[in-house]
Amino acid sequence: MGEYKTAKLDAVFSALGDPTRRAILARLQTSDARVTDLAGDFPISLNSVSKHIRMLERAGLLRRSVTGRDHLLSLNAKPMAEAAAWMEHYRSFWENRLAALETYVLDKKRKRK
Amino acid sequence: MNAAAPAVTPSATAVVVRRTIAAAPAELFDAWLDAEALAIWMRPDGIRHTSAKADARVGGRYEIIMQGDEKTYPHHGVYRVIDRPRRLVFTWISHGTEGCETLVTVDFLPAGQRTEVVVTHEQLPEAARESHTKGWTSGLGRLDDFGSRSAAS
Repeated sequence: MGEYKTAKLDAVFSALGDPTRRAILARLQTSDARVTDLAGDFPISLNSVSKHIRMLERAGLLRRSVTGRDHLLSLNAKPMAEAAAWMEHYRSFWENRLAALETYVLDKKRKRK
Repeated sequence: MNAAAPAVTPSATAVVVRRTIAAAPAELFDAWLDAEALAIWMRPDGIRHTSAKADARVGGRYEIIMQGDEKTYPHHGVYRVIDRPRRLVFTWISHGTEGCETLVTVDFLPAGQRTEVVVTHEQLPEAARESHTKGWTSGLGRLDDFGSRSAAS
């Protein structure tokens, strides 16, 4: 179970690590779009837009519905929420650890004096 | 490739936490590599006891076992960069990462009489994981190429 989720989270972080892909997600936040719409919105080739879209799909961040020849893309924010939860967990973990590190080191200095 | 080539920006995928502490960089740095010290400050709320082992050399393994009331939370990883007292980089594997290898970089920045400790915790994209392994096997135990190895992260 854990492994599946981890692979997913990995894909989400890789997908979110690129500015073009983040821009695609931001664009889809306003409304669903066809692949060709997205290609028009960004100054890159249809081919590279397709590659970015595939990465986003693999991460589960996009849903694709096919009607005839049209592929309509929509945003699926759930994996992003999971990634955010991971980050929040570790933000709080490290904040608390650094506070404990401070206490430890200052105590040690005090005892030495 | 071109302008759209993937550039992994840590800001979007990494947790960055900072704290300025009234101690010298070396004092803080050493507390990360000393098993006795780790056992004390690596004990979050709800953890009754932490035990730690640290083989403090590049390529050496550490283990931090946090014992809760009902569950045990093992953490482990390998030191990638030990650049005392400036920078420490190690992998981090735990229940929180669901057994997946992640990377922790700790920078110790002098700030007058104090030190700013910056922890950057990131998931490793697949590509970076590969290059790490390569950089690893080729320069094992060499202490003078820290810089180049950390640039690969």
